[in-house]
Amino acid sequence: MWLRGDDEVSIETAPVAPADADAVAGLSLRQLAWRRLKRDKTFIASSIILIFIVLVAIFAPQITALLGVDPYSLDGTSIDDSGGKPIGPWGGASLEHPLGVEWGTGRDILARLLYGLRISLLIATSATILTVTLGTVFGIISGYARGFTDAAIGRFMDLILAFPFLLIVLALSGAFTQRLTDLGVPEGNASRITYLILVLGIFGWPYLARIVRGQVLSMREREFVESAVSIGAGTPRILFREILPNLWAPIIVYATLLLPTYIATEAALSFLGVGVLPPEPSFGAMLSESVQYFTLVPSYLFIPGTVLVIVVVAFNLAGDSVRDALDPKAARQ
Amino acid sequence: MRHHRRSATLAAGLVAGALLLAACGGSSDTDDSASPAASGAASEGAAAGGEGQAGGTLTILSPAEQLLTLDPQVVYTGEDLAFLGATIQRSLTAYQVAPGDAEGTTLVPDMATDTGTASNEGKTWAFTLRDGMKWEDGKDVTCADVAYGVSRQFDVGLTQGGPVYGVTYLDIPTNEDGSSQYGGPSSGTGQELFDKAVTCSEDGKTITFNLNQPVPDFNYAVTLGFSAVPAGMVAGEEYANKPMSNGPYKISEYNKGKGGKLVLVRNEFWTPESDPYRKALPDSWVYNFGIEETVADQRVIQDSGDDQFAMVQSLTTASLPIVFEDPAFESRRIDAFDPYTIYAAVNVEKVPDVKVRQAIAVALDREALLKNAGGTFAGEYADGAVKPNIGIDYAPTGLWDGLLGQPVPGAGDPEFAKKLLSEAGLSELTITVDYPQTEDNDKAVAIWVESLKRANITVKPNPIERGQYYGVVFQDANEIMLGGWGADWPNASTVIPPLFVQGWNLSRVDDKAFNEKVKAASVELDRNTQATMWQELNKEAAQQMWIIPTRFGRDQRLAGSKVGPIFSWSAYGSFPYPIMYAVQ
Repeated sequence: MWLRGDDEVSIETAPVAPADADAVAGLSLRQLAWRRLKRDKTFIASSIILIFIVLVAIFAPQITALLGVDPYSLDGTSIDDSGGKPIGPWGGASLEHPLGVEWGTGRDILARLLYGLRISLLIATSATILTVTLGTVFGIISGYARGFTDAAIGRFMDLILAFPFLLIVLALSGAFTQRLTDLGVPEGNASRITYLILVLGIFGWPYLARIVRGQVLSMREREFVESAVSIGAGTPRILFREILPNLWAPIIVYATLLLPTYIATEAALSFLGVGVLPPEPSFGAMLSESVQYFTLVPSYLFIPGTVLVIVVVAFNLAGDSVRDALDPKAARQ
Repeated sequence: MRHHRRSATLAAGLVAGALLLAACGGSSDTDDSASPAASGAASEGAAAGGEGQAGGTLTILSPAEQLLTLDPQVVYTGEDLAFLGATIQRSLTAYQVAPGDAEGTTLVPDMATDTGTASNEGKTWAFTLRDGMKWEDGKDVTCADVAYGVSRQFDVGLTQGGPVYGVTYLDIPTNEDGSSQYGGPSSGTGQELFDKAVTCSEDGKTITFNLNQPVPDFNYAVTLGFSAVPAGMVAGEEYANKPMSNGPYKISEYNKGKGGKLVLVRNEFWTPESDPYRKALPDSWVYNFGIEETVADQRVIQDSGDDQFAMVQSLTTASLPIVFEDPAFESRRIDAFDPYTIYAAVNVEKVPDVKVRQAIAVALDREALLKNAGGTFAGEYADGAVKPNIGIDYAPTGLWDGLLGQPVPGAGDPEFAKKLLSEAGLSELTITVDYPQTEDNDKAVAIWVESLKRANITVKPNPIERGQYYGVVFQDANEIMLGGWGADWPNASTVIPPLFVQGWNLSRVDDKAFNEKVKAASVELDRNTQATMWQELNKEAAQQMWIIPTRFGRDQRLAGSKVGPIFSWSAYGSFPYPIMYAVQ
């Protein structure tokens, strides 16, 4: 039988040594990973796309100003008077409105797309960070502590997983948003966005925590942990300096899958009325509205749909590459 | 009657109090428009003339998850009144089923042998009942059953949100707080007072109503909430789901929610001799719930298989170009004025200054609102609560043509609005708009935000789940509430008093002088004098801007190729349910 212990230990012991020692010993895991990533064309391509999308989202106001479009201003001249249909093919696409205008109001689709992307990415990124933080911390504690703490955290996770997420989110939105406002979060969209981030994070972390806990359970018996214990390392050090670095692969993969999921969830929630308030645009509102007009103006669905697909695929590919780079066992040609 | 388009979804588990009011939900879109065109309910194309054929099944595809209620004392949306009245609930009088405004709102007898006899200067009304009317269990429909049904109007907890003309008009003393001394059949307090106000003749053939004031058009009022309920039957909240039928059909199945349906089959005890009003041609009716609006539209547009017998009660704006640009749909589509005025109610408790209310209205871009609602398909600018198709009670108020001091264009006049605000001592203002959340309303409110911003008025949107909307805003409202209201019968007494005195007073108006004038108009016996009084009151209400009238609504519908006849029934702005048939 193949003796598995060797290669795992050799890699997993790497982070045990502090970074400066690594320089002497050779390449750290991080350096190794980075070297592999730099050679990965998929990673480079998807990263460039992601960076581009993020920049576009961040600088949406400047870009729209530059293009002379605005997500809020009404344009009655670009829609007809019987039904509110955009005048011209492709949703009334023209030089003035490159991607067409919204049915009924004549608001610019490109501008609304960019602003919508901004809000979606803000919510999805923040919620992912929250989820990953909570999931990792509770997962490590749960897996390492065992006994009562593990059981308590485990049952608490079960409790959260047992909640009917959608129902709770809808039912609590009014009261909770108000509470956030009372706590000093600015009224309106700020409170609603905070609420969305909080519920996505709070209901999302147990899934990651379970994965992390499983990893920690198997890892805490390994030699490098035992050796750390034997030389008298404290629990926090063992948890966060010894074990955590070995968890990055699953966590990063999970996060890259989670972020696009959250973009979609945000879209669904704003369809159900928990999203941002009008006139603020959002992906969810754009997508759900597009269904109604699909046969007449397919671009309403394809434009935000394509952007969403690009974001999701780019994140997944980048995530895969990072996982491969971090995980030496992965089959690499 | 309440506004109903794009019907409300009733979320499961609403809080009791909110429940019945919630029922009235309806999407209120906003807008208006200024052409003074006549209000003809021009129905396009009446399919396949003639008498129609018996047999078959007609199907309604509805996005709603249920009918708001089936309780005959609570039903109050036009569409439901028309449908349930045609199938399971007879009333003393009814409206003729015919195309045209005048023909479609002519009163004809139903359970009664004629349209009622007034005496004592209109303070006593008597109706003689037909012979041979039966309940679905074979028992006779008696005078006592009619009286019992009326008495349920007084059961406030049960029939909240329903029409209460019985409570308003019957000669029963009130307590100091204005509530009736009769507590309804379930409480029994003051039963003798009710029995004195509503009496049955010795032979049980004639029911007499004694009123507290002359009501010249009381025979119209009995089309609402005066349907019979078997006397003595315990009919609590559950009656809203399984009412006893005395019409040509009875309920065989009623499941709510997505995929649910209401199935009506023939009531074998009903006879055409006892009911010359209804043709009762199809063998059954099926009301399908929870069908996505676009899907429902598409199914009827495609017109294949059983969908040839289907109809939709509204069309999404996306379906309008398909249906109205293609002559193939000419015989199947309806485009007509409905009974509703679409408005934004201004809460006078929060906006007491008339100048501020006017400033809000003046700044509003009603043109964008109209376009967003569907442009010419959505109707035209409204100039008051009373809609032209009501008849003689309407006269142009000139609201946008100088009543406010200067004309206001459809797109609004921010400068004039700022001037009005400064006259009220304000330079800026923040208001919140309550609205039932739909995609169309989200856009409408975006138009509010954008257009009022031009006059330094900040608008905060407050979307409310549409099934709960009216329940919420009647309890606790912000400055502006989107809504819609239609006359119960061709008299402004069913518009001005409910909107500005009591009944559907979203604006919380409490103006003593106005109330006195409304009272005077209500009891005026000369119809022409009364009409003039209503016209004046409508103008005063418009100027006070208790509601911002944005649009006189139009309504588009489509039916399958084997449904007939297809025209808009003016009384309810609905399909002509009592005479519809399935082509075999």
